[in-house]
Amino acid sequence: MATWGTTGRRLRFFGQFAHYLIRYATWLPPLICFNTYVAEVTFIQGPSMYPFLNAEYHESRRQDLCLVWKMYARENLARGMLVIFRNPDDPHKMTVKRVVALEGDKVRTRRPYPHDYINIPEGHVWVEGDGDKTKDSNYYGPISAQLITGRITHIVSPWKRAGRVRWWEHPERPGVQKAQVGWFST
Amino acid sequence: MSTGPGPASEPSVNKFEESILGHPFRVFLITAKYLAFTHLFMEYGFTVSASHGPSMLPTFEVLGEWVLVSRWHRFGRGVSVGDLIAYNIPINNDVGVKRVLGLPGDYVLVNSPETGSDVMIQVPRGHCWIVGDNLPASRDSRFFGAVPLALVRGKILARIRPYTEFSWIVNPLQRPDRD
Repeated sequence: MATWGTTGRRLRFFGQFAHYLIRYATWLPPLICFNTYVAEVTFIQGPSMYPFLNAEYHESRRQDLCLVWKMYARENLARGMLVIFRNPDDPHKMTVKRVVALEGDKVRTRRPYPHDYINIPEGHVWVEGDGDKTKDSNYYGPISAQLITGRITHIVSPWKRAGRVRWWEHPERPGVQKAQVGWFST
Repeated sequence: MSTGPGPASEPSVNKFEESILGHPFRVFLITAKYLAFTHLFMEYGFTVSASHGPSMLPTFEVLGEWVLVSRWHRFGRGVSVGDLIAYNIPINNDVGVKRVLGLPGDYVLVNSPETGSDVMIQVPRGHCWIVGDNLPASRDSRFFGAVPLALVRGKILARIRPYTEFSWIVNPLQRPDRD
């Protein structure tokens, strides 16, 4: 009798457990959709945006936590914005860089790039990291704006630097001749 | 005393009135969940989309074509040379359908064969070279260069409309020992 009671209780427990599991699992698709299309909080890896992000990368293993805004990420791009995009070399890697030039601009390139100057083609942007250790457009060329999935709007984690990302206050990169006409000209 | 497992032992779960109509937001929430689930299925599983334009002419008509797209093959996963893919056009917001001519490391002709130019390049890492079947009327990699695999949305499995002309898309490049 006692064993039957234990089994019954256990069965009931598993039944309730499965019930709650399924009930909470139904919230996964809305959550994934929110993270894909509205906003997401993510860690930044690597020193490519030093000193703006991961400013302590050579002192600690702690990574910056950032808010990535996904809605309308590809619209009204501007020079200086921090964007997240799928790496053109590896579609499964996400990369953070700063938009340096927009379509129609003329850019004086940096070291590994084979040409001195480049005109950014239609629908493309030129992205560069702030730091020295960066693999950016100077390495793989201008990227299609369709690769961009989000913008970094806030820093969340190191409390010292937490707050809104004021990308418009970042100094302009020298060597960018802005396009005179177009949607994005300032 | 409970008689068995399952939600039957829980009050107010299986009662239709309380679970569906009891709460003012419940219908809305359930609808949102189903929509999100359906969207995820169309994003990561299979989807159906219309295709138009003359660039794939012998394979697809200019108008009225609907195709079945396997989103499992997004980002070029499991795609081989000769497959048809749906991709985000790198220079605007549209989606296009083209045939894969080269994958990373392959050597491809940069221009059409009839132009007489025999310039070849190696497709860079993480990119693919795509062309339309109707070369003179297609805007493809010959125009905007190699396309990042991250822009590949999926592989075309079949043309499904008009229903009378349903046919699976088979890769014309088959190994000779596989028949």
